[in-house]
Amino acid sequence: MASAIALHATPAFAHHSFAAEWDATRCRDFTGTLTKVDWQNPHPYFYVDVKDEKGKVENWSFQAYSPVTLRRNGTDRQVFLDNVNKSVWVRGCLSKTGKPNAAAAGTLKFSDGVLRQVGQIQD
Amino acid sequence: MATLTMRAQGRGGQSASAQPPKYEITVMPPGGPAPRLSDGHPDFTGHWFPNSAGQGVSGRFGVDPAAVRQFDPKVTPEERPAFQTWALEKIKSMTPTELELSKSSVNCMPRGVPAIWLQNPYTTYIVHKPGLMAQLYEVLNNWRIIRLDGRPLPKQPEPFFHGNSTARWEGDTLVVDSIGFDERTYIQPNGWFHSEDLHVTERYTRPSVNYLIVEITVDDPKVLQKPWKSAPRRWTLGNGEIYEFYCTNNKELEELEKLRQQELQGK
Repeated sequence: MASAIALHATPAFAHHSFAAEWDATRCRDFTGTLTKVDWQNPHPYFYVDVKDEKGKVENWSFQAYSPVTLRRNGTDRQVFLDNVNKSVWVRGCLSKTGKPNAAAAGTLKFSDGVLRQVGQIQD
Repeated sequence: MATLTMRAQGRGGQSASAQPPKYEITVMPPGGPAPRLSDGHPDFTGHWFPNSAGQGVSGRFGVDPAAVRQFDPKVTPEERPAFQTWALEKIKSMTPTELELSKSSVNCMPRGVPAIWLQNPYTTYIVHKPGLMAQLYEVLNNWRIIRLDGRPLPKQPEPFFHGNSTARWEGDTLVVDSIGFDERTYIQPNGWFHSEDLHVTERYTRPSVNYLIVEITVDDPKVLQKPWKSAPRRWTLGNGEIYEFYCTNNKELEELEKLRQQELQGK
């Protein structure tokens, strides 16, 4: 059952409260094309073209863990760069302020299908 | 939805299985004796991780919960701070967003002492020589130099984020006393502020090569009814790089300020 256990990623601790800024009751799946990544502290943001149910494409931003945390869990900047213009699946939660097309990323899969924890997820 | 399904199976699998879980990241063993400096004292030099794994654990899969902790509360429970009534009322009056905005992890202010040892998920590189300890904090590319020559504390200390420190040895324990702190630091990220009379004592030991133990005592009579003592917190020796971390692109403050305005309008 090690694989089952392994699906629960360890949260980043002692950091700030996810619930203060992001709405854990409004989390959803996103599928689209990775367009770019801004790799800066305290949080990288990556951008995904997401097609809605009417076929309209909108560019969403996703906040991730800090660069240090991402490097240490194996999802470094180069992983994102290697996947620009490729398909990506993201589980993310929406902003509490209602900021359009902005979410906090939790889990993510690039086209290699590997599940990656790239941010706090609360749902 | 694949992930959600897999997670649900994981939960079910755990409860249905009698086998103990097999973790990929476990508690680091203590290792051999601690190294010593030429003056005979323990050498605290090393790249220290704020967990029991000796490597990063955040956002990783297959981590033994025991490897995440710095102490086991069942073995060494940590007492709650006994706040003065006025201080507790001040803390409780903070709205959730005010509390969030006060956190150094949100506003990119230095954590300061003792918070750098109490609320820091990033690593610390210690360079230790006879008479001097340099603490290089990964978070915010910050540093602190502690002189170990027993120099007296200043009578009129400048307020520093890391305070003004003096150090002495008690056997193999390095004891660092500090006063004179910047009033913008918080002891822990729960609204625990301090007064200008804050006195912090850090006790460092290295019981074995892989473990650094840090115990903090917070003495602040204006805020606390009695001094607060932390559990002995374990940092573990790791390999790998200490990374650059200049906080230059903080987009969260703007969002939190919007929420703060919404809170104010709702009052």
